[in-house]
Amino acid sequence: MLVSVIGAGTMGSGIALVCARKGHQVKLMDTNQSVLEKAQSFLQKILNRDVEKGRISESEKEKIYQSILPTQSMEQLADCEIVIEAVPERLDLKKKIFQDLSNICSEKALLLSNTSSISITEIAAGCKGEERILGLHFFNPAPVMPLVEVIRGMKSSEENVQKVVQFAKDLGKVPVTCNDSPGFIVNRIARPYYNESLNILGSRIATPKQIDEIMTKAGGFRMGPFALQDLIGIDINFATTESVYTNFFHEGRFKPSRIQQRMVQAGRLGRKTGGGFYDYSK
Amino acid sequence: MTIANKKVLVAGMSPLAQELKELISKHGAQVLSLDQLDEHQDSLDYVVEVTNYNLEDKKRIIQQIDQALAARPEVPILTTSLAITATEVASWTTSPQRVCGFGTFVPLAERKLIELAPALQTEESIVKKVEAFVQSLEKETSIVDDEVGLVFPRVLSLIINEAVFALMEGTASKEDIDIAMKKGTNYPYGPLEWADQIGLDEVYAVVRGLYRDLGEERFRPASLLRKMVLAGRVGKRSNQGFYSYNK
Ligand SMILES: NC(=O)c1ccc[n+]([C@@H]2O[C@H](COP(=O)([O-])OP(=O)(O)OC[C@H]3O[C@@H](n4cnc5c(N)ncnc54)[C@H](O)[C@@H]3O)[C@@H](O)[C@H]2O)c1
Repeated sequence: MLVSVIGAGTMGSGIALVCARKGHQVKLMDTNQSVLEKAQSFLQKILNRDVEKGRISESEKEKIYQSILPTQSMEQLADCEIVIEAVPERLDLKKKIFQDLSNICSEKALLLSNTSSISITEIAAGCKGEERILGLHFFNPAPVMPLVEVIRGMKSSEENVQKVVQFAKDLGKVPVTCNDSPGFIVNRIARPYYNESLNILGSRIATPKQIDEIMTKAGGFRMGPFALQDLIGIDINFATTESVYTNFFHEGRFKPSRIQQRMVQAGRLGRKTGGGFYDYSK
Repeated sequence: MTIANKKVLVAGMSPLAQELKELISKHGAQVLSLDQLDEHQDSLDYVVEVTNYNLEDKKRIIQQIDQALAARPEVPILTTSLAITATEVASWTTSPQRVCGFGTFVPLAERKLIELAPALQTEESIVKKVEAFVQSLEKETSIVDDEVGLVFPRVLSLIINEAVFALMEGTASKEDIDIAMKKGTNYPYGPLEWADQIGLDEVYAVVRGLYRDLGEERFRPASLLRKMVLAGRVGKRSNQGFYSYNK
């Protein structure tokens, strides 16, 4: 199939790779030339490693690499059957892109957003052919994480939902379907893992180290909630909670933590800043 | 320390009771039930009480045990503080210094660690005794402050509660919710299948207890969870929870 991915950042470059590995022709579009170059060297690096590990041959590598065509022009996407948008998480940006796509692409093209928290219904509103606009939410890193959430906007057609589910299966992913509600499935149901742990910390019931040990040893979770926040980035985690809280009209179950907010304000964001709930400076 | 040849009374309605009896007798202790209390009241070494859903039953059982052991305040009573604080349980007794809270969920085979929560009234010597007791069952311990649901049961119950809200609202099917949490964020089980394994009554007891004691909206139980418990669909134990189980 002819697939295009808009935005060649963290998610877009990974999604392009997932598609190319399954034999799709991919147009990888980004307005920033240097991002496209970075994405290409990232793809080279991953594919070279695949060759080294004997997972693919040199010629297969070339074929996959050549099937990803970088471009800076939206007009180039006119013939694509599936478009996956992965630009930064801003409503105005995404709305503009879907408006443009709905005019440029054929009426049958499926237009999909990788948004983590913006309503698909809102992105689609006013576009030509709202029934073919859906969410296709990958998890980071896209080439590794098996899950994708297929999100049904209020006007998405069931036929198109099934088409996207099949597309995801053909990519080797595990698709689940859900309605357009804040945080979809994972980002919503996982909130208490972080929030309630922060709440427990706030009441001094246990320390972060203790809570992590309890959740892994008593609960069998792979990583404790505090070590995991440090890995994800405390700012990213806080932003997700805030967004779910706001979009649920301040439902108390999603209330963000003041401790977490202070950490963000202090710039203690986790591993990436050398310290979060734990110290990584040594 | 070993509990070989010690006498341990295990009382209460939680599915934890059966598993604790097996675990304790595997480690060489003599396990007694509530109807043997009078006969062994002079020689009992430990008491473990595990009622969570019905707190009136819990109070009746705790008071019966405390009275039978009135002359022996050195015998520890380890009680689940899943739905109520250990401090409140201790307040029902005449020897509150012997009461210590703990909490976990079945299956015990999957728990490498068990949390202990001393009540405000618990004596230090009792804490030491119950710590050694739990460690003798080959479980690590972690001592947390006394609040409803401790840490693991509280966090997991609220994850399950959120999953039930999502299910009730039609956000996704139960199967998709479970798959999403396993494949999108590496949970060992999906929250709804996990609830079936633990017992919905146990999970509900934790959420309801938090809501009762702390009064915040974040602890409001999902009404589907409450109704399933009332309908007796508590999970694997009753062959019906979010999923059906045929014998
Ligand atoms: N990073 C994650 O963990 C993660 C996980 C799941 C979903 N998401 C979602 O995926 C989307 C992208 O996130 P990311 O982390 O890859 O961001 P990113 O910043 O790494 O990449 C976004 C890219 O979009 C490009 N871009 C900006 N405006 C554009 C335009 N008008 N046309 C084309 N390209 C444009 C930027 O140059 C940038 O390279 C967001 O909606 C985010 O919420 C992110």
